[in-house]
Amino acid sequence: MAVTLGKRKRVRRETGSKIETAPQDAPNDSDQEDLQATFRRHFEARFKPLADLAKPKEKPVDLVAEESTEEESEWDGISEDEEAPVEIIEHSTSADAASLLDKQAQKAFMSSKPPTSTPTSTARFKRPTSPTEADGEALNLKNDLALQRLLKESHLLDSTTDYTPSGSNRHKATDIRLQSLGSKSSIHVQEKMPMSHRRGITAKATSKEEQRRREAKENGIILERAVKVQKMAGGRRERGVGTPGVGKFRGGMLKLSKRDVASIEGPKKSMKGRRR
Amino acid sequence: MSTTTSPPPIRFTGSKYLVQRLVVSTLTGRPIRISQIRSNSTTSPGLLPHEISFLRLLDTITNGSLIEFSMTGTTLLYRPGLLTGSAQGYGADTSGVLKHELPRECTRGVSYYLLPLCLLAPFSKAALNVLFTGAGVITSSTPSTGDISVDTVRTAILPLYRSFGIENNIELRILRRSNPGPGNRGGGGEVQLLFGHQVRLPKTVHLLNPGRVKSIKGVAYATGVSAANNARMIEAARGVLNPFVANTYIFSDVSSAPLVPDGSKTAQPGAKRKIGVGFGISLVAESSTGALWSADVASPPEGGVPPEDVGRGAAYQLLETISKGGYVSAVAAPTVLTLMAMGSEDVGRVKMGRDVLGTKEVVSLARDLRAFGASGWGLRDADEDEQGDVVVSVVGRGVGNVGRKIA
Repeated sequence: MAVTLGKRKRVRRETGSKIETAPQDAPNDSDQEDLQATFRRHFEARFKPLADLAKPKEKPVDLVAEESTEEESEWDGISEDEEAPVEIIEHSTSADAASLLDKQAQKAFMSSKPPTSTPTSTARFKRPTSPTEADGEALNLKNDLALQRLLKESHLLDSTTDYTPSGSNRHKATDIRLQSLGSKSSIHVQEKMPMSHRRGITAKATSKEEQRRREAKENGIILERAVKVQKMAGGRRERGVGTPGVGKFRGGMLKLSKRDVASIEGPKKSMKGRRR
Repeated sequence: MSTTTSPPPIRFTGSKYLVQRLVVSTLTGRPIRISQIRSNSTTSPGLLPHEISFLRLLDTITNGSLIEFSMTGTTLLYRPGLLTGSAQGYGADTSGVLKHELPRECTRGVSYYLLPLCLLAPFSKAALNVLFTGAGVITSSTPSTGDISVDTVRTAILPLYRSFGIENNIELRILRRSNPGPGNRGGGGEVQLLFGHQVRLPKTVHLLNPGRVKSIKGVAYATGVSAANNARMIEAARGVLNPFVANTYIFSDVSSAPLVPDGSKTAQPGAKRKIGVGFGISLVAESSTGALWSADVASPPEGGVPPEDVGRGAAYQLLETISKGGYVSAVAAPTVLTLMAMGSEDVGRVKMGRDVLGTKEVVSLARDLRAFGASGWGLRDADEDEQGDVVVSVVGRGVGNVGRKIA
């Protein structure tokens, strides 16, 4: 079947002009012309407009007539056996999957790293979950997230009925979410500011805390234990290799303060009570 | 190290197990003195080029080690230093790669250097990154000296470190392949070992259940010869192995012959010649519990062996290795036992076949470890099986990585 089809196609392609000339002997009925026009229109609607205007009259007819007969015969066959169960035979093997696995295995084995033990292909045999189950799971997760957020951010919400915070509250909510996701610092903390401002802020914070503690103490309320802020350990910062360990090196000059000199000299041995 | 009074060196004789002794000496920090190295040989007394090259390598990856030869080279004194790895300023270049050139007279495969290097690397202070180059690098297995191929090192030896908790950042890159050159000497390969996982102490292991073979994998390599050799080797090997394990994959790697500078006197200056032409195959069987058995066969440099024989020989060799039983094969046994002996002060156990335990290497390793002051191994029959395997119990030394302790 396939062979004959291929042959016919080739013939049509190579010796198109011959075919066109030959069927001129055939009778030209008016209804056949109508049919041609219809098919032509149909053809042009689906594909490109036909370039040749005079000649290709026969060509579509020829093509379509053959096709139509074929189609009809096939269609009839199917419609006759409509009652019988349709038998589906798949000739595709799992060669694709196997070759894919081969590639993966080769990549894993031939890489420069020592190969891990052969992976078991569980992914292939994963049973698809039923859609309702999956939907329910997704819905549950969604509700869960919404509830978690509500619990965390409820203090930001004012009395309005809307549960999505807006304005500065939205920024605060975003900050909370980011921190819950693992962000180290808040987005509201200003990184750079004049030293005096920062000092003022820390001073205010400490004074506030101190006042709170004092008032609590006066009222006999026991507060949580104060966390002592650790000062930077060690007086000196890490410095470059080869720089002097003491003093200030500025403008090609090493300046030693009195304290530096004292630290170099070490504790003075008092000669008072000692005899030589 | 020089300030403290070092203990007197432990004395050994003979040229055999030189590398093994040097490794244990470096790991334990005890100096050794090896005398009568090929003193009976009239043609080549003393150390051979590959041994000297290994000593050089040992010198570059340690700091403060002392190596002394006698005039004839038949006596060697080695005082180990600290294992630094490929630290900058100690021979490694700016990218931290330590380049080690192997001499063209080298008859051993590069696995001769890789296996001890992998044993030392977990105990070094920094990551170890060594590039083996030069006209002496043979990446294939060597028919003359019985060294395993680089592929086997990567696929059968390095995975064993995983059970000791050493698994991250380990790579063995085969940059250029080479079989042994004419007269079993030299090759033009290039191999880079990156061992980036340093530990304080390897974990204590209990490798008692060998399991059953679940897959066989392998690499067939052809250097400077037709790729058809690979196909023929693979077909012959699969013909033997497929009835036993259907899950057999052997991959093929074809490369051109490496070019090395022509060293002959008649050659033009700057002339190069092809070297290291041949083919070979490396097979690794993996069990359901992660045990590995390997086989290695390569064509001899003089040729005359059809690839079918090589492939079939490798398959039979693999079957023989598996039949010897136990969790570790004879190839991997020194590595596993040394790591166990260097582990924490705890009893680790490993099941071994009698034939594996009875090999010269394992017995001499046991004796050498005793000489270095390690406690003896306990042997008992694994009574539950009929194969006659032996369970070897090894008490770790509990010192581990000295550089790591200080750092």
